[in-house]
Amino acid sequence: MITFEHASVTYPGGVQALKDVSLTLEEGEFVVIVGLSGAGKSTLIRAVNGLVPLTSGTCRVGDQVVDPTDKRAIRALRAEVGMIFQTHNLVKRTTVLNNVLMGRLHRTATWRTLLGTYTKEDVEIAMQALERVEIVEKAYVRASNLSGGQQQRVGIARALAQQPKVVLADEPTASLDPPTSHIVMRDLKRICRELNITMLVNLHFLDLARAYADRIVGLRAGELVYDGPGAEADETVFRDIYGRSLTADDVLEKQGTL
Amino acid sequence: MNGPTTDEQARQRLEEITRPEKPFNRFKWIVTAVLLVMFLGSSATVDVQLGQITALPERTVFYLGLMFGPPDLGEIPRATTAMIESLGMAWIGTMIGAALSFPLAFLAATNLFSKPIVFVARQILNLFRAVPEIVFLIMLLPVTGLTPVSVALALGISSIGTLGKLSAEVIEGIDHGPVEAADAAGGGRLQRIRWSVIPQVIPEIVALWLYRFEINIRNSAVAGAVGAGGIGTLLIRQISQLRDWAAAGTALAVMVILTLIVDTISGRVRRRIIRGPQRAVDIGADEDDDDGGGRTPKVPGPAPTTAGNGPLAPI
Amino acid sequence: MTGATAPPTTSAFRRPTKPPPPAFAIWGTIGFIAVTLLFAWDWRYGIGFSPAEIIENLGRRNPILEGARNLDWSTLASPTVIAGFVETFQMAAIATILGGIVALPLALLNSVTGAPNRTVYVLVKNFNSFIRAIPDLIYAVFFVAAIGRGAMPGILALFFLSVAVIAKLTSDIVDGIDPGPIESARASGATHTQMLRTAVLPQILPGYTSFALYTFEINLRGSAVLGFVGAGGIGQVFNNYYQRGWFDRLAAVVVGFFVVVFIVDRVSIAVRKRLL
Repeated sequence: MITFEHASVTYPGGVQALKDVSLTLEEGEFVVIVGLSGAGKSTLIRAVNGLVPLTSGTCRVGDQVVDPTDKRAIRALRAEVGMIFQTHNLVKRTTVLNNVLMGRLHRTATWRTLLGTYTKEDVEIAMQALERVEIVEKAYVRASNLSGGQQQRVGIARALAQQPKVVLADEPTASLDPPTSHIVMRDLKRICRELNITMLVNLHFLDLARAYADRIVGLRAGELVYDGPGAEADETVFRDIYGRSLTADDVLEKQGTL
Repeated sequence: MNGPTTDEQARQRLEEITRPEKPFNRFKWIVTAVLLVMFLGSSATVDVQLGQITALPERTVFYLGLMFGPPDLGEIPRATTAMIESLGMAWIGTMIGAALSFPLAFLAATNLFSKPIVFVARQILNLFRAVPEIVFLIMLLPVTGLTPVSVALALGISSIGTLGKLSAEVIEGIDHGPVEAADAAGGGRLQRIRWSVIPQVIPEIVALWLYRFEINIRNSAVAGAVGAGGIGTLLIRQISQLRDWAAAGTALAVMVILTLIVDTISGRVRRRIIRGPQRAVDIGADEDDDDGGGRTPKVPGPAPTTAGNGPLAPI
Repeated sequence: MTGATAPPTTSAFRRPTKPPPPAFAIWGTIGFIAVTLLFAWDWRYGIGFSPAEIIENLGRRNPILEGARNLDWSTLASPTVIAGFVETFQMAAIATILGGIVALPLALLNSVTGAPNRTVYVLVKNFNSFIRAIPDLIYAVFFVAAIGRGAMPGILALFFLSVAVIAKLTSDIVDGIDPGPIESARASGATHTQMLRTAVLPQILPGYTSFALYTFEINLRGSAVLGFVGAGGIGQVFNNYYQRGWFDRLAAVVVGFFVVVFIVDRVSIAVRKRLL
């Protein structure tokens, strides 16, 4: 479903965030990327929808090559790829429903967007997305009035409203407390199964990664250092990925066993 | 918040939750209605002849053609002198406003004086803000005559309100550590203001003066209403009395160019005063090594940050 | 406090000498004073500002203040004055609403975040600066000469003033908004216009509305001067009474105007608080 071939990214400042990464994700797979902050996790995820352009190599979604210079094509591709963010990235001053309807923009005529009127079908899709994350009763509440966990569910609903084939999640639990983190991860996994969506999730916490991932991909300094089933990733593997011994900050439940 | 454990439970819960009805946003409708009534009501009743609207595009193009056809280069020296006079009125006016508003700003700061004093000071400032320049100018004419000095005084007095209000906001935003330190050292209120408040607020207040100077350059055109000198008077005479459109076009160009040049200089000085000597944060210089943490990575394209444009204060 | 003598120091550390103020502060202060003196001096490029002369002239007979001492309140009820107030209100309302509508896209394009590319940004920025560099009174004179006297040239002058003020103030807040929603709009395949409407507009709306309300006040005050060049509104009444020397009536109208502006100011502040 997603294929990286010798993908590299060098930022204008000269920092190389991805070094020659080759990776193939199958349809419906739930893949977690782990690595230290600065290891290139965010870059890898953003290369899939072209928010970060590759400096060399290619990335494919389905059989379409990601090419941010072709505005029309990249918008069409992004419409099929939902994205969930660490900071939720909701427009706080508007309603939950309006935020979810952002996921329908690609299918909405510009004049409709300008007037702020969406079609019945689009509203229905948005409502169904909210139902799937069990927060539909908040549809007309301002996003700023929700808790962090609720805001993240709205973020997930926005991605689902795109009716995507692929969902990218950039540290979706980083600003949530441990119980809420588990709920969000469980929701993501459930949705991945129910809708057969390919998911690519960045995580920092090892226990979360192991508990939910079909497959774990390890990045260190922009290089692919591990790729294997989630269940097989043990402490030595993580030590290898992190390049140092593990600390309490690397697990979500501080007293958790690893 | 407990997630469903089985599909069965999930389906059950889904059926229990009902979708909310779209609520009626009263505030939004009231605002829309008021705006519509104001606009349509005013448009329908205002004393405008239809001919004035229909003739507008054609006449505008015609007179702009006259103004900016062949330029009247001979007019440049006179226009420049007049513009410098306008700049003089604006500058002296701003300095008068700065001097008069400075003490009032402290009296209007809630963190320095008690409520009654602040209230009185604020009302005085509001009073100066509500009166248009032209009123002060007319009141001053018997004293200083149809001269640039009258204009400078009028601009100065009408600047008191805004300058005082914005300066008071700067004073209210100060760091309280030094004030407490001065209190602890047993300073009186005046000493406290002199040694712990003024040093903190002076750069931002001076920046406000410069900002007001930029506004006063435009406001100095009010001199033209009564003929008290400056570029405003020159332009109004050329357009409405002499109908010398070519000269007016040249004078207008001189005015716009000099205004923009002075704006640019003043804006640079303001930014330098507020930011200090270091240059604005260079794009991509300090964040490139940080990729994770959800921060947006740098993407080639339009620069993501902008140099701030001075105080975000209303005029 | 005076006369205290410090004991001789035995410290081994050399005391630092007080650092001189930064060169920018010194030259800045000198420049400030020099510019002030140059403009205040009585010469070719100065305005000849003499405080002594002003104080001396304060004793002169001031017919305007004399007029203010016996206000002619009945003037406020005269049809011309009422018509002047109504016209000022109409002009300000039309100009603010139209100006606000035009200023919104200009404000968005005047920011790095809102402009689709560098060229548009630079073009719009210069266009806005140009509009802002011309005072409302000059717009009014031009339009009076072009299409004749009345409220229309006044509306046009205030329209340009509104565009300039609202676009400037609003564009200053566009670059300060939360960039998160912009990224999510882009990630969902939105066009630039859709992104502006759904991710940027809701965030700047409170500020924008507040600036528009504030501009309505500016327009009310601005209309006082436009009448002097024939562009309608209450200024026409001001000019009329001023030219004829009817200072008792002029003073009454000024007080009435002041009250109107003051009330609008209070109402607008209350509404702005509600918005933010």
